Amino acid sequence: MNTPRSIREIFGFFFFLGRRTGKTRVFALLGLIPVVLAVVVRIVLHGRSGDIAAVFTEILMVFFLQFYIVILALFYGTSVTAEEVENRTLSYLITRPLPKPAIVLGKYAAYALLMFAMVAVSLTLSFFVMNAARLREPALYLTFLSYLGVLGLGILAYTAFFTFLGTVLKRAILVGLVFGFGWENVIQYFPGSTQRFSIVHYLKSLLPYRPAPGGGGKGVALLLFRLEPTSTLLAVLALIGIGAAFLALACWLFRMKEYLYEE
Amino acid sequence: MTAVIAASNLSKWYGNVLGLNDVSLEVEEGITGLLGPNGAGKSTFMKLITGQMKPNIGTVTVRGQKVWNNPEVFSGIGFCPENDVFYEDVTGWEFLTGLLRFYGYAPAEIRERAARALDIVDLAKDKDRLIRGYSRGMRQRVKVAQAIAHDPEIVILDEPLSGLDPLGKRKLIKLIKDFKSEGRTVLVSSHVLPEIEALTSRIVLVHQGKILAQGDIPYIRELIEAHPHQISVRSSDPRALAARFLGDRSIQKMTFAADGRTLVVETHKRDDFFGRLTGVVLEDGIEVEEISSPDDNLQAVFEYLVGK
Amino acid sequence: MATVREKGYSHWDGKLGERRFPWWPITRTGIQLAFRKKRFKFVFAGAFVPAFVFLVGLYVSERLEDFKSFVRESDRLLNIGPKYFSAYFTNDSLLFLIVLVLAFGAAGLIADDIKHSSLQLYFSRPLSKTDYLLGKMSVIFFFVLILTALPGLVLVIFKLIFAGSFKFFLDYPWLPLSILGYSALLTVFFAFYVLLLSALSKNARYVIVLIFGIYIFSNVLYGILNSIFRTPYMALFSVSANLQQAGAFIFGQKLPQAVPAGWSFLVLAGICVLAAVVLNRKIRSVEVIK
Repeated sequence: MNTPRSIREIFGFFFFLGRRTGKTRVFALLGLIPVVLAVVVRIVLHGRSGDIAAVFTEILMVFFLQFYIVILALFYGTSVTAEEVENRTLSYLITRPLPKPAIVLGKYAAYALLMFAMVAVSLTLSFFVMNAARLREPALYLTFLSYLGVLGLGILAYTAFFTFLGTVLKRAILVGLVFGFGWENVIQYFPGSTQRFSIVHYLKSLLPYRPAPGGGGKGVALLLFRLEPTSTLLAVLALIGIGAAFLALACWLFRMKEYLYEE
Repeated sequence: MTAVIAASNLSKWYGNVLGLNDVSLEVEEGITGLLGPNGAGKSTFMKLITGQMKPNIGTVTVRGQKVWNNPEVFSGIGFCPENDVFYEDVTGWEFLTGLLRFYGYAPAEIRERAARALDIVDLAKDKDRLIRGYSRGMRQRVKVAQAIAHDPEIVILDEPLSGLDPLGKRKLIKLIKDFKSEGRTVLVSSHVLPEIEALTSRIVLVHQGKILAQGDIPYIRELIEAHPHQISVRSSDPRALAARFLGDRSIQKMTFAADGRTLVVETHKRDDFFGRLTGVVLEDGIEVEEISSPDDNLQAVFEYLVGK
Repeated sequence: MATVREKGYSHWDGKLGERRFPWWPITRTGIQLAFRKKRFKFVFAGAFVPAFVFLVGLYVSERLEDFKSFVRESDRLLNIGPKYFSAYFTNDSLLFLIVLVLAFGAAGLIADDIKHSSLQLYFSRPLSKTDYLLGKMSVIFFFVLILTALPGLVLVIFKLIFAGSFKFFLDYPWLPLSILGYSALLTVFFAFYVLLLSALSKNARYVIVLIFGIYIFSNVLYGILNSIFRTPYMALFSVSANLQQAGAFIFGQKLPQAVPAGWSFLVLAGICVLAAVVLNRKIRSVEVIK
């Protein structure tokens, strides 16, 4: 089978498998939290004036950007190869007429789509619940699409990075956790261009709303503290570049490396 | 006959541990049994010839093609892994149809092949149950089904009979024999001699990462027969029992264990000894409480052969 | 020939043979297994960095004259007292490191047993459910106490050594008790928290994500809810905020949140009770054989 066909078949199988597992249900349920929060926001902040995007960025994007997509990408990204080795099911895949990179790419695509579906449902519900009064404003839909785009790019980049970690390291989750919840948060306190060595920097740069320094609640302080944004085009290119580079590395490593099961 | 699988000077290390040591082997059409105790290197060999591992030294080819990173070669290979592992959240049917997708078949053909394979392993009526709910025997059979569903020319089965009940074993043995009559090449591993014996007369003995001997069953049997067996007989009167066997030429040595009730016999002809023992017990009325053979296992045979 | 009787499974109602510490082999094995992992050793060693930093602080506090040019305005911070110790015990990095150590050293404590169906093996020995859980918990006790009580007491001892007098001890005679008390609280809480999550899955990797995820998520949720409601009570949703609140109370410091400390103790106790209930249900000596 040629590589594109192999990717498609792997994608189909693992998208189906991914939907089946209890873990996906748990992660999907987690996505309901912003919906509940959106309802709470609607009730509590009813009539509060200001930009829709501002409220959304200040409150719910903290959940999506700082937690949800990171934890999803960490779990599913490291699963691409690590779960096959841990569960010893890799034999079923690499003794088929499939190019090895197709296994990585197909699983990556399946899990990325699965995550995107979870995030999209959660974002759609929470965003429109929060902005139910403004459904007639065309700008609202553009804002929504830009949030969806940011999160989609985030999923692509983070998942590629964690897929790479899962391919290269035995205990990728340790490094992944330190990166996702340590480095990505701490980096914003570093001076100069250091924050550009993180994925979250480019995602924050793409947010449709960025408050002035010092404004907003604690959520904003967490999310946009000392942000020196990169231009939109560069940020998009950087995220695509990060995704493509780590995915290519993961494919190359998976092809070259042999995996031994732990006794 | 030309070799279907050819391994030449194959060596594999796990860190400092030598998994396989300079193994050269040619596997021809028909059934070949890979026999050896646990940890002998059987699975390592199988992983090398199925491209799951890369040899440190040596080459391995299947039908003249290299295996490592050569996906095309796997269209004609079916592999049944030793480990009892699955994608647990799917049914037997979904497992098989899912894996058959990787061969590029049309959906109708996938369904047909999956149905046929499940039928062969007697799982047709349980195909819609989740694998996690399958019994050990069913899991073993679905594992075999995935190895044969794409009709491979070469079937490689790593310990396929382990965990099966006698009936399940018989069925699988018949199935593997059918593969042979269909002109396939089958390589099957086991650490139980009678299992391999029931499947084929062509055996490769593997021990400590090396091929110790290879040939037909009679030759291997001969080697094993030459191995002096130890048999312990606990009896109410071990000395009387010993006296009855003193003139027996097949017995090499007799000793009494520390408990004073056990006679330990060393013989080349185990079957003859057991035949005579039954007669003595019946004729003399000597009460025998327990008969055991401390070294009646493959490991002992291997140790003997290595020592030789 | 004796009759072959019908065989079946039956519960043994006898009394278990007395043994003083039947849980000890479980604990010993758990600790040994954790230290077999190279990365765990690295993380564990790294978890002592805060203790080292605070030890340096202690030294500098006794040599303020020598370090005048470095410390300047920090001398208020280096005024060693219960506040200093409270700062060590409740700082975010120590709590983060404890979570990290437990995620890698203890996530598989129960998950691996479930994965390998070894619960029956445990309970086929003279071992009760309490012994099993105590054995597993003691692994966590060991790690957390070594990162809290031990450095805490060592810091007190070094303070006395550096000061060359017992004045500090006479000024705050209850401080060692606070250290032990808060260490015990952290230990018990994390033991229940980690074992609860470890019992929820047979995949240790997933448990690691849960241990971390819930800890981080509770903080994120606190941030979000605080933005909406602007009330300190939202801190009760955060694991770390509750631990910090309890720590400040035990060390007799001003509470970081304007919420009675009792609420935080209640939340932490609630999590422990929930964990106990779940563990009691999940850890069963008799499994249905498929």
